[in-house]
Amino acid sequence: MIGLQILVNGLTLGALYACLAVGFSLVWGVLNVINMLHGSLIILGGYLTWYAWLHWQVHPLAALLPVALLLFALGWVIQMTMINRLVRQPVLTTLTVTFGLDLILYNAMNVLFDATPRRITLDLGTLSLGEVVLAWDRIVAFVLALALTLLLYAVMNASRTGRAIVAVRMDRDAAELMGIRINRVYAMTFALGAGLAGACGALMAMVFPITTNISGLLLGKAFVVCVIGGLGTVPGALVGGLVLGLIESLSGHLFGPQNAVLIGYGLMLVLLMTRPTGLLGRKGYE
Amino acid sequence: MKRSMAIFAVFALAVAAVPLAGDNYLLQQATFVAMYCALALSWNLIGGYAGYPSFATAAFVGLGAYAGALLQNAGLPMVAAWVGATLITAAFAALLGYGLLRMKGHYFAVGSISIVEVLRLVASSWAGLTGGGEGLNVPIMPGGPEFAGRVFLYAMWAVMLLAFASAVWVDRSRLGFGLRCIEQNEDAADMVGVPVTRYKTAAFTLSALFCGTVGAISASWVSYIAPTDAFSILLTLKVPVMVLLGGPGSLLGPVIGAASFVLIEQTVWSRFLDYNQAALGLVIVLLIFFLPGGVLGRLRWRAKPAVQPGAAPAAGSAP
Amino acid sequence: MLRRSSILKLGRLAAQATVTAALWTASTGAWAQDVIRIGAPLALTGGLADEGKKQQVAYDMWLKRVNAAGGIQVGAKKMKVELLTYDYQSDEKRAQQIAERLITQDKVDFLTAPFGSGHTKVVAGVAERYGVPVMASVASSETVFNQGYKYLFGTLAPNGGIVQNMAVIFTRLIPGVKKIAILGREDVFPRAMAAEMKKAAEANGIEVAYSEFYPVGTLDHAAALSKMKATGAQWVFITGYTQDLILARKQMGDLKFSAPIVTMVTGPSYREFVDGLGKLADGVTSASWWHHSLTYKSDDVFGSTEAFYKEFVAREKKDPDYVNASAAAALVVLQKAIEKAGTLDKAKVRDALAATDILTFYGPVKFTANGMNQGRDLPIIQVQGTKIVPLYPTPIKAGSLRPVAPF
Repeated sequence: MIGLQILVNGLTLGALYACLAVGFSLVWGVLNVINMLHGSLIILGGYLTWYAWLHWQVHPLAALLPVALLLFALGWVIQMTMINRLVRQPVLTTLTVTFGLDLILYNAMNVLFDATPRRITLDLGTLSLGEVVLAWDRIVAFVLALALTLLLYAVMNASRTGRAIVAVRMDRDAAELMGIRINRVYAMTFALGAGLAGACGALMAMVFPITTNISGLLLGKAFVVCVIGGLGTVPGALVGGLVLGLIESLSGHLFGPQNAVLIGYGLMLVLLMTRPTGLLGRKGYE
Repeated sequence: MKRSMAIFAVFALAVAAVPLAGDNYLLQQATFVAMYCALALSWNLIGGYAGYPSFATAAFVGLGAYAGALLQNAGLPMVAAWVGATLITAAFAALLGYGLLRMKGHYFAVGSISIVEVLRLVASSWAGLTGGGEGLNVPIMPGGPEFAGRVFLYAMWAVMLLAFASAVWVDRSRLGFGLRCIEQNEDAADMVGVPVTRYKTAAFTLSALFCGTVGAISASWVSYIAPTDAFSILLTLKVPVMVLLGGPGSLLGPVIGAASFVLIEQTVWSRFLDYNQAALGLVIVLLIFFLPGGVLGRLRWRAKPAVQPGAAPAAGSAP
Repeated sequence: MLRRSSILKLGRLAAQATVTAALWTASTGAWAQDVIRIGAPLALTGGLADEGKKQQVAYDMWLKRVNAAGGIQVGAKKMKVELLTYDYQSDEKRAQQIAERLITQDKVDFLTAPFGSGHTKVVAGVAERYGVPVMASVASSETVFNQGYKYLFGTLAPNGGIVQNMAVIFTRLIPGVKKIAILGREDVFPRAMAAEMKKAAEANGIEVAYSEFYPVGTLDHAAALSKMKATGAQWVFITGYTQDLILARKQMGDLKFSAPIVTMVTGPSYREFVDGLGKLADGVTSASWWHHSLTYKSDDVFGSTEAFYKEFVAREKKDPDYVNASAAAALVVLQKAIEKAGTLDKAKVRDALAATDILTFYGPVKFTANGMNQGRDLPIIQVQGTKIVPLYPTPIKAGSLRPVAPF
């Protein structure tokens, strides 16, 4: 039954979308910074994973953690040196700076790796449940994406750093008064965002051909997911991602592939105008 | 005010005199300068004066390009097509503004940038009208390259003049005053009696108007348009940078910024073959960190002394 | 104080203008009249960089051979060739700027067009205005040549020819092919190919069970592919750029979407496609404008297809594809036209180009009224194992069409 296949397609795609957006959502929600670097960071994670696989035969799942840590470190450095000075600036400034940084990263990757699409040819096979077919690598990506988001959620709620981040997100000044070191929290958040982007990149390298040409697309998806699901919260990114995946899958089936992406954007615009905090966002927080 | 106008007049005369230098390439560069000045001046109305960071510039330029191309192909003479495209773009912006301007800060930014992508997707899928991915041909203007070069230079130059004139008008009028109030604190402005919605929509429409004209002229110039290049995210991100470079919220800021940016770009990409994008990115980053008020901010000279160029953190309401 | 700033301002503007003028004047190269100057705007950075480099390599191979032989014979004297390359960064506006610059500043005699239909059109527009012959080596859609330009010539044959042969041959060799599902990328060339396939299918009595386009920037094809699978089509035809095709093929595997014939244009013509897909590439068919196993012998700087192939392999350590060959061929054709015209006069060379009817290492070249190279038996290829095997035409046939193994 094709309906079930569409549903499954949408969910597996949606989990990937959630994973790619959660880091972006965190940075936007907590630091109030629209991180234009996000798409390129994901691609960087993907390239590094592919490189490790090609030259040292490292399995992408094994590469996931090291790549994430590397990007975490990179994110920390970028935050401390640059973003930190701009956190209170209006969106025009922060968006433009991250755009400039993105140009640098994008160019660097093009020179180092060039834009040829790279794919990790794992060929894990498929799983058939009745008439519905699922690719194993998508299943793995789905599970991992969920695991990462749930892990993040746990970290946010249970660890001190996590709770500090949430506190800063809710009310920066009150958090500062309570003794939380804001700069530390900011650095942590941005680094987390970058690390998650790296992890997502590793996952995507298993599933998509990786090329710098799609970094802008990934960023665009992140925008849409954040608006749909709500900013700054992990469940928001998860819901937003799954919803977007389902919408694209359904629209692609009903209205043809040329309209699938358009409908996703259309929904985003409608939500922006009517309920900008998204499906799960909290009211009053911009 | 008078100083700004005088300086601009000198600049405009310099640009208009370029054909006398006889070099077609120089002519083309001057045309680009005029074009970006027009775009930057337009953006300044919504981004600088009103404080709403719009990233929809490319949407209007692209819309103008398609409207102009379609009108020209339908038989309208070139200039009439340009005018028609301008009107269509303005109408679209006015309607769009109604929904878009309800959002503030980040949401407005994200909403405006998505319009670019949405229009690109529409142009791509509405193949019956727009030719889809194939693009649209526009007939080449007869008369040879030197003549065409001049026509397009003066066309962009005229748009630049009109954009400057509208900026002057806005700056002097109640609209301009109202916009500045909105930029400082929208709720307070509303309470004081400034017709916030009307003014914002007016500024947004005005900012879109000349983008449409630029788009239509570009389409005639290149003789071919296609969705991906017509709705260029890079363009939409470059224009605010130009205004930031020059100094937002002032009359000359966008002009200085646009001219300087084109100059920098020319010297950068011809020198750093493989790294030109990174060089541009570096310029942008350095600009934000070391020239926060733009060139004019640095020179400590503003058109209206009381106005802080957009980025002051004290303007609390803009997140 | 304010007056001082305004003088400062004026001074700054004046300084800027002077510096600018100086820079621009300095960039005008010295104009030597004993050299033929050919301008080559290429995408050496940005999204199309891979393709741009392919053209660059081919141009360079031709250039070295021509200059080694002393240059091109123009009337009574031999003139060496200079190739001016600029990177337009895969950006349309830059392409236009560079084309203008090459013509007005660098005073080139002739131009080449970059990869891709859209940018070819932009460069061609500029060239047409100035009356400079421009050689397009990677544009095969009729729509690129439909503006009535007189100075544009392309070495690739039109798209239509490719799919017509496939329709006839495939249905003959694999019985039971009744339905075809077509998915095309919404972009000049891939769209045109998909449209041509639809026409060819209908002309051969094959039912078009599905025919849709996906926009530039599609990250996932599962929805379209699921629907295509549900139609039960025996022939799957997908167009797009390498990354789209790799993704689509992989997702066919993910959905266990099998069909005896899977055609992708232009994927298999490129090594990157086969490398990116591994086992999944097996059985995918495609057509190309040229294959290196062709056996043309010609009276040009290369002398034969084999010579071109050998030199390329020695230099690049991999097989050349049609982009390389077409790019070199474009310059070969230009050279022949110059020799025939006996002058560098642009209008006369243009006329000589229009009258071209020669055999090159790349194949026969004869331009029709709109500037396109006439179609002829274009090679049909299939990936078998990890090799790209030509199936047609007979002179280069190295294997037989195999149905794609089901998942």
